[in-house]
Amino acid sequence: MIMPDMDSLAHPQERRFNPYTENGGTILAIAGADFSVIAGDTRQSEGYSIQTRYAPKVFRLTDRAVLAVNGFAADGNMFVKKVKQRLEWYHHAHAKDMPLRAIARLIQTMLYARRFFPYYVYNILGGIEEDGTGAVYSFDPVGSYEREACRAAGAAQSLVQPFLDNQIYFKNQEAAQGTSHPSHLPLETVLSIVIDSFTSATERHIEVGDGLEIFIALSKGRTLQGMESIRGLQELTVTEDGERLFVMRRDLKKD
Amino acid sequence: MFLTRSEYDRGVNTFSPEGRLFQVEYAIEAIKLGSTTVGVRTPDGVVLAVEKRVQSPLLESSSIEKIMEIDTHLGCAMSGLTADARTMIDHARVTAQNHAFTYDERIKVESVTQAVCDLALRFGESVHDEEAMMSRPFGVALLIAGVDELGPQLYHTDPSGTFMRYNAKAIGSGSEAAQSELQDKWHKQMTLLEAQKLALRVLKQVMEEKLDHHNVQLAQVTPQKGFAILDEVQLKEIIDAM
Amino acid sequence: MNSILQRYSGSNAGGLSKSTIDEDNDFSDAMWGSEAGFGTLAKGVPGFVVPSVPDPAAFLRLHTDDHADPSCRIKIQHGTTTLAFRFQGGVIVAVDSRATAGSYVASGTVKKVIEINPYLLGTMAGGAADCQYWETYLGMHCRLHELRNRERISVSAASKYLSNLVYSYKGMGLSMGTMICGWDKTGPAVFYVDSDGTRLKGDLFSVGSGSTFAYGVLDQGYRWDLTDEEAQELGRRSIYAAGHRDAFSGNTCNLYHVKEDGWKFIGNYDITKLHYEGPGDVAGSPGHGYGYDMRVEGRSSANPPEAPAQA
Repeated sequence: MIMPDMDSLAHPQERRFNPYTENGGTILAIAGADFSVIAGDTRQSEGYSIQTRYAPKVFRLTDRAVLAVNGFAADGNMFVKKVKQRLEWYHHAHAKDMPLRAIARLIQTMLYARRFFPYYVYNILGGIEEDGTGAVYSFDPVGSYEREACRAAGAAQSLVQPFLDNQIYFKNQEAAQGTSHPSHLPLETVLSIVIDSFTSATERHIEVGDGLEIFIALSKGRTLQGMESIRGLQELTVTEDGERLFVMRRDLKKD
Repeated sequence: MFLTRSEYDRGVNTFSPEGRLFQVEYAIEAIKLGSTTVGVRTPDGVVLAVEKRVQSPLLESSSIEKIMEIDTHLGCAMSGLTADARTMIDHARVTAQNHAFTYDERIKVESVTQAVCDLALRFGESVHDEEAMMSRPFGVALLIAGVDELGPQLYHTDPSGTFMRYNAKAIGSGSEAAQSELQDKWHKQMTLLEAQKLALRVLKQVMEEKLDHHNVQLAQVTPQKGFAILDEVQLKEIIDAM
Repeated sequence: MNSILQRYSGSNAGGLSKSTIDEDNDFSDAMWGSEAGFGTLAKGVPGFVVPSVPDPAAFLRLHTDDHADPSCRIKIQHGTTTLAFRFQGGVIVAVDSRATAGSYVASGTVKKVIEINPYLLGTMAGGAADCQYWETYLGMHCRLHELRNRERISVSAASKYLSNLVYSYKGMGLSMGTMICGWDKTGPAVFYVDSDGTRLKGDLFSVGSGSTFAYGVLDQGYRWDLTDEEAQELGRRSIYAAGHRDAFSGNTCNLYHVKEDGWKFIGNYDITKLHYEGPGDVAGSPGHGYGYDMRVEGRSSANPPEAPAQA
């Protein structure tokens, strides 16, 4: 005869449905006048252990749209899969690629459909609008969204966002006499801000590191000016209209 | 001929041995009893014109509604059983609004047309054990006019759920004469005013009554102002200019 | 619950799907076939997925309620000051732009006025997504009402539509406190609607964590016969007060004015700037900063005025 485990009977036990975990990492996007940069690190961790050093968090959706997802990796990957499925259906129904702002609204409705069982995912959508401007949309887990010039999310959000506020929005900076702050920064500057953000976040946050993936979406007619010297730049797609999508990868510290 | 038909024209979803769906064909016949409706596409916009049959002097002609708005960039004119059209147009409106809600953009003209035709094809269809939603095909044809990123467009739908894009199209009782007139007179570089005059002239030819601003209705969809039904003053001006 | 929703929405509002855990039911297979990709469209909002636990609301609270548990995982944006009031010249709507997740300022540029259509505005307090989503959804139904009835929906009807909608989700964990503002046949109108199901008609409301501070200024300055300029200034000044005293409110103030021909965006004002410099060269501006330390310059405890000469 098996005796019941007296120990477990002695103490009341609580069981709760907890389908979420946090997988660390950080994502970031910055919009320029005619380009958009979307980046994320590639480390995936749970607690204090690193599960993998290469788990992409940034995904190409269309030739002009890139989605970065952060939070619970399983939810994130499933969400991206479902967004891609909807984009495919839209293409069949309407015979065109979904425009960026339409994707943004679609993501809201998809996130909100899980209002009572949320995806634990912070989304940042970047790309080129139909009018040719660079755009960034940021979302909360249940779908509230906003178009912005830049946004960081994830583990190191509170480290990176203040840096972006200062470098992109020029918060708490006084322009020199007789000059004003530019409303849009050149691509070169933006790329170095992105890389600096991630190297710094890697230094100060244990969940950030290993690798960096940066997607660059260019508006049609924009030259490659400012990109000549980029090492290892890989072109993903070119549209008929001339919008181009690139990816570049960098190593981050692995400790 | 009639005998062979009667075997197969009862069920709405039974093909005849020759491969015909008689109820659908009869529904298309119903449109030929309807008042004449004309649509003309130009590079500047699309014009819709309908004949309003005022059967009695006591009838308020303003209560006859044969051109309806689907959304700001979409309009629709009908011929046949207009009551059926209300169901279809409400479906088109809901589809257009749902699209705007889900995608934050205006729906394409072809996409609403497709949605209306999907509905047109759902007669006799029952899901699981539920009763069929519609027992017969719609007895109405629509001219759907609209403007989207592909420019001004005009679509024709019929009870079989088929839709086609036209530069100019006439439906209803006088459609045969009207269509050949449109074929003669339509040209690529028409202005909106020319299209309005053409539409009215074509209606005038096939109407039994004398055309005036009470027995026709004119609407347009333009890239600038979207859908608009012309008021009596504007209508009168065009009739006078004809 | 579903039946209530369906009754109030032509297009089958997002009722909770029956088989709640089966994700494939989000989209019917009609999306592939006869509806040519319009499956979800024809159904309206996709059905909501609910976890298959005995108490879904408790599940949601466990993971999203950062008031009860600051370490909860999913942080929904909160914290706000919004206000709207009715006066002789229409409706003034003023809000701040800060969104907080716990004590982190998640955004300082939130649009808390939702432009439902050219005649209706809604404000956002509570769950940002709840307000954004349902007020956009409301906008769709207002447009359908317009097409079907050939006249604009009244503010009263629109607000009731929203309140019936959120009431059908009562207890599920929605969080919204909103003012539906507009101008209809009855003139300027403001209705307060919240996720508990409350719906109130009134002249003056403020909602959010900073509302007490806003009310302090608003109640003092409010009159029916305010001029447009005075009313706009009162709205700005009230939001400034809330931004100044409530830690969960701040950044900037967005100001709207609804008149007979629809709403107009008046401006966006940095709250720090309002403190030191005032709203700048706009109608109703006092010409100086709102901050009392500006006003008491030379008369403060640190720098008191010279005592009058003793007799």
